Amino acid sequence: MDENDMIDEEEYEFSRNYFLAKESGKSVKKSSAHKVSELNLADEQELRAEVSNIEPKHEKEIALLINSYKKLYNEWVFELRYGFGLLMYGFGSKKTLIEDFASTALTEYNVIVVNGYLQSINLKQVATAMAEVLWDQLKMQLRSASGGTSRDQQPFNSRSMDDLIAFLDEPHKTENECLVCLVIHNIDGPGLRDSDTQHLLARIAACSHVRIVASIDHVNAPLLWDKKMVHVQFNWCWHHVPTFAPYKIEGVFHPLILAHGGTSQSVKTASIVLQSLTPNAQSVFKVLAEHQLAHPDEEGMPIDVLFTSCRELFLVSSLVTLNSHLTEFKDHELVKVRRHSEGQDCLHIPLSKDALEKLVQEMNH
Amino acid sequence: MSPVSDDDVSLPHISDNDLKPFYVLHKASDCQQRVKKPVGRSSRKVKVNLSASLATSDEGEMQDDQLHENSRMKNFHNAWVKIESTIKDVLHNINADVFNEVDSWVHKSFDSICSNGKPDANKATCAYPIVTDVTAKQIFTALVVMNNMEFVDDLQTFADLGTHLQSHGCHVANLSSVDFSVKSGIGGCLRSLLRQILSSSIDVADISVLASWYIEHDNYKHPVVVIIEDMDRCSGPVLSDFILMLSEWVIKIPVILILGVATTLDASKSILTSKAVQHLSPSKFFLGSPADRLDAIIKAVLVKPCSGFLVGHKVAGFIRNCFLRQDGTLTSLVRAVKMALVQHFLMEPLSFAVNGLLDEESEESTSVAEAWPKQAFDLPSCSRRLSEPKSEVALDGPSKMIEVMNLWSCVVLCLHEAGKKQKTTLLDLYYEALDPKLYNLRHSDHLELKPDSQRPSWIQGINGTSSKMQKGGLIGQTTRQVRDLSPAALLQLVEKWSKQTDGFIEIHEKVKELQLQEKIEDDTLKELANRSRRQTIRNSGNLDRSTKTLNDKAAALISCMTRDHMQPIECIPFHEIVCFKNVDKLQAALCGDPRRRIQLDLLECHNFLKCSCCGKSSNAPSSSMHDTTLMYTLAQEHGDLINLHDWYQSFRAIIFQKTVKERHRMKVSPSPKKRKMTAEPQNITEASVQARFCRAVTELQITGLLRMPSKRRPDFVQRVAFGL
Repeated sequence: MDENDMIDEEEYEFSRNYFLAKESGKSVKKSSAHKVSELNLADEQELRAEVSNIEPKHEKEIALLINSYKKLYNEWVFELRYGFGLLMYGFGSKKTLIEDFASTALTEYNVIVVNGYLQSINLKQVATAMAEVLWDQLKMQLRSASGGTSRDQQPFNSRSMDDLIAFLDEPHKTENECLVCLVIHNIDGPGLRDSDTQHLLARIAACSHVRIVASIDHVNAPLLWDKKMVHVQFNWCWHHVPTFAPYKIEGVFHPLILAHGGTSQSVKTASIVLQSLTPNAQSVFKVLAEHQLAHPDEEGMPIDVLFTSCRELFLVSSLVTLNSHLTEFKDHELVKVRRHSEGQDCLHIPLSKDALEKLVQEMNH
Repeated sequence: MSPVSDDDVSLPHISDNDLKPFYVLHKASDCQQRVKKPVGRSSRKVKVNLSASLATSDEGEMQDDQLHENSRMKNFHNAWVKIESTIKDVLHNINADVFNEVDSWVHKSFDSICSNGKPDANKATCAYPIVTDVTAKQIFTALVVMNNMEFVDDLQTFADLGTHLQSHGCHVANLSSVDFSVKSGIGGCLRSLLRQILSSSIDVADISVLASWYIEHDNYKHPVVVIIEDMDRCSGPVLSDFILMLSEWVIKIPVILILGVATTLDASKSILTSKAVQHLSPSKFFLGSPADRLDAIIKAVLVKPCSGFLVGHKVAGFIRNCFLRQDGTLTSLVRAVKMALVQHFLMEPLSFAVNGLLDEESEESTSVAEAWPKQAFDLPSCSRRLSEPKSEVALDGPSKMIEVMNLWSCVVLCLHEAGKKQKTTLLDLYYEALDPKLYNLRHSDHLELKPDSQRPSWIQGINGTSSKMQKGGLIGQTTRQVRDLSPAALLQLVEKWSKQTDGFIEIHEKVKELQLQEKIEDDTLKELANRSRRQTIRNSGNLDRSTKTLNDKAAALISCMTRDHMQPIECIPFHEIVCFKNVDKLQAALCGDPRRRIQLDLLECHNFLKCSCCGKSSNAPSSSMHDTTLMYTLAQEHGDLINLHDWYQSFRAIIFQKTVKERHRMKVSPSPKKRKMTAEPQNITEASVQARFCRAVTELQITGLLRMPSKRRPDFVQRVAFGL
C-alpha cells in the first residue's frame, strides 16, 4: 500500500512539474522574445578558439573523483569475468576513466576500443579486428601447448559477419580463457544509435570470447535495448560513475549554439570528419577542393566534371560510387549543392579560400 | 595494497586514437605466461585480487587474506555452478514432457511424409520436384504456445528443444525473428538455415544446396526440423515466402516446422498470407506456464538452500517487485540472483567461511568447519546476541545453521502445499516467510503468557499490529485456509506434509500423529457409510464436528510449525556470512536509472566534487560552479522552452557577479591570505563566456536533457526532463 502511495506521489510530482513547466514556458514566451542575434556575439573562429582554451574548473577535484574509482577496478574485473557487461553512466566524459581501467586492470584481455561518438563506425571492421586479435592469441596458445603448427585460417576480412560472430562464439578450447574486451565509448553515440547496429553489437557482446565495457551519456539510452538484449546479450551491470570531466572529444562534432547556424564549418571539424572517411573518399574531396582553389570565381564544380577527373585518377569506377561519397560529404556538410546559372548542379565546399588551403595542406600530411 | 598504481588519471587530450572509429588498445599481455601456469580451476579463478578493501598490517595477515580471497572466489564459483545447474535441471524437468511429445510427433510426421515416397537420388536429379497435388505439399507444423508474452524466457527453452531433438537424430536449425527481417529477406533466413544444418558457410543462398546435401550419405534417414522461436515477431511476407518455398520442396526435403507462438494460436493466420497458411498442417503443444516455472526455480534455488547462498528479506522483496511490477521474466530473476551472488562474495570478507556449508551431500559434511572464524564474532548479528542475557543458547556453529535453515525451508514448503489450492505463489510466501519482523512478533506473542489485561500497553500495540499482519498476511491466510479444507483435501495435504517433513524429526512426528488420527476418522467414516442411511444422517452432525476438529488440529500444527521452526535467515546469528542483504547495491547494479541519476549529478554536483570553493549546503548558483551544472541549475527556472538570450544573460551575470563580489571582498579585507585565494582571472572576456556557454549547452545536448533550436524556434532550446 505504502509503496503504491509513494509511486502515486511520484507520478503526481512529475505531472505537476510538467504542467508548471508548460505554464511558465508560456509566460516566458510572452514576456521574453529576445533574440540570440541581439547578443554581441563573437565570430565563430574566435568562439572555437575560446572553446579550446576554456580554463578548467575543479581540475583537482575531478582528478580526485576519477581516481577514487580506481578502488572499484577489481570489482569490475570480477563482474566482467563472470559474464556481465559493464555499463558506465553519470555526468562527465568517462573516456579517460574507462581507458585507464582497461589498460591497468584488463591486461590479460585483448582490448579493442570503439569511439562511438564518431559519426560513422563500420562494425564489420571492428569484428574483423576482434577476430584477428583473438586468432593471434589462440594460435600462440596452441603452438606453445602442442608445439605443432596451427591450422590455416581464411583471412578474416573476406569473411561474412555471421562467420566472424561464429568464430568469436566458439567454445573455449583451453582451460585459459582467451577473451577480447570490447570497450565502446558512447554506445548511444550517433554512429551506433540505430537499431540494427545495436542488435549487431548485442550479438557480438553475447559471444563466448567477448566481454563488453561501454559508456552512455544520454538519459534515454536504455530505450535502445529490448529485454533480450539487456538480460541475455549485453547482460549489463550498471555503474554510476560521474566524472564531471569535460566532454572534449565527444562534443567536437556538435555545432556551437552561438555560432551562426553552423553554415561555415571550421577547418578543424572538416578535417576530423574527413579523417573518418575512407582514403578514396578523401581523395575525391581533394580533387574537388583543388578545383575550387584553382577556379575561385566559378560557382562550383559540376558533378560530371568531378566524375571524369575522379575516374581518370582511378578513384571511382561508376557514378554510383561517386554519389555515395557525395552523399556522405553532404551529410557532414562538407559539400553543398548549388544551382549553376546555366541550370546545372554544382558542388561547392562552404569554406573560405584560406580555410580550404589549410585543409588541403592538412590532408597532404 | 591496491594493485593499481596511484598515478593520476590525466584529463583528456585529443589524440589520434580518439579520432579513429576503433583501435586495438592492447593485446593480451601474459598469454605466454599463462599457458605455463598449472592449469586448474582454482588457478584461474583466483586472479582477481579483492584485497584493496581490506586493511592489512603484516605479512602473515596478508597471506591469510590472500588465502581467504582465494576461497571466496572458489566459493563464488562453486555456488554459481550449483545454482546454474539446479536451474537447468528444474527447467529440464518441467519441459521434459512437452519435449518428448514434440519429439514423438516429429518422428510420426516424418514417417507419414516418407510413406508418400522416400527421397532418393532419382528424384533429386529431377530439375524440379514433381508434385502437383496440393495435399502433398503440406508442411507438418508444430505451434508451440508459450503462455507468455515475454519471449526472453523461452529463448533457452527453444535452444534446449533443439538440442533435445538433435540428440534424437534430427537435423535441427534454430532460427529467430532476426533472420526473418524484411531487410535481409528470404536470402537471410535461408542462409542461416543452411549455415546451421550444413555447418559450413555457404555463399549462395539456394535451397537446392540443402536438397543435394540431404540425399548424401545417410542424411535422408532423418527429418530436418526448423525451429522459429518467435514467430509473432517475424516479418509476415518473408516468413510466408519461406513457407511457400519449403512446401515446394517438401518431398525432397521433408522439413518439419516448429513455431513458437507468444500471442494466440491464430496468430499464424494473421501474420502469414492465406496461401502460406494453406500449406501448414498444424498441431498444438503447450509449454508450462511461467508461474509454474517461477515457483519451481524459487523452490530449488532460494527456498532450498542449494548453494550456501541466501538473500535477505529486503532483497527478496526487490526481486519479487522486479518480477511482479517491472519485468515479469524469469531471466531477469535469475540475473538478479546472479548479481546478488557476485555482490555478496565481493563485499562480504567473511564469505570465505561458506566453504562446504550447506552442501546437501552428507559425505561432505566433514568439510563443514565446526566453528565460525573468529572474525565472525564481530558481526552485528552475533554481537547482538552476545549482549543479550541468555547468550548461552545463541552461538552455535555452521551445522546448527544448516539445521535451522532446512527447517525453515521445510515449513515454507508445507505452507506452499497448503496454499496451492488458493493459488498462493511461492514467491509471495517466500518473501513473507523471510521477514524477520514478523518472526519476532510471532515469537514475542508466544513467549508472552500473561493474560491480556496484565500486559503493558506497548506490547498490546505490537500485538495489535501483529495480529493485523497475521490476518492480512499470506501465512495467516494460508493457515486459516487449512481449517476450511474438505476431508479429502485435508488427507492429501497431510500426506504431502508427511513427505515434505521426512527427515525433520520434531515436525515429522507431529504430522504422523495427525495422519494417524485422520486414518481413524477415515475408517469410522467408511464404517458409517456401510451402516444404514438413517443412522448416517443422524451421525452426520457428529462427523462434521470431528472433521472440524481435525482441520483445527492441522491448522494448529501448521501455525505451530510457523511459530517454532520457521526462523528466517536474518534471525540466525552469523547469517551475514551466507546472506546477502544490500538491496540498494543490487538495485543500482541491475537497473541503472540514468534519467534520474544524471540530473542529480548535475543538480547536486557538490556531493561528488566536494570542492571548497562552492557553497556547501545550498545549490545556489555561483560562478565557481561547474559550468554545465550551473547552466542546468539555471535552466530549472525556465519552462519547457528556454530562451537562449535570457539563459545566456543569467549565466553571464553569475559569472561576472562573483568577480565583482570578490573584488569587493578584496577591498574590504586587508588580509593577504584572502587576497591570495581570490587570484582568479579578472579579465573574463565576453567571448570566453560565450565559449563556456556553448560548451555547456553541447554537454547538456550530449546528455539528452536539451533539444536544440529548430528552424521554427531558432531562439529557444527545449527542456526534455521535468522533475527527477
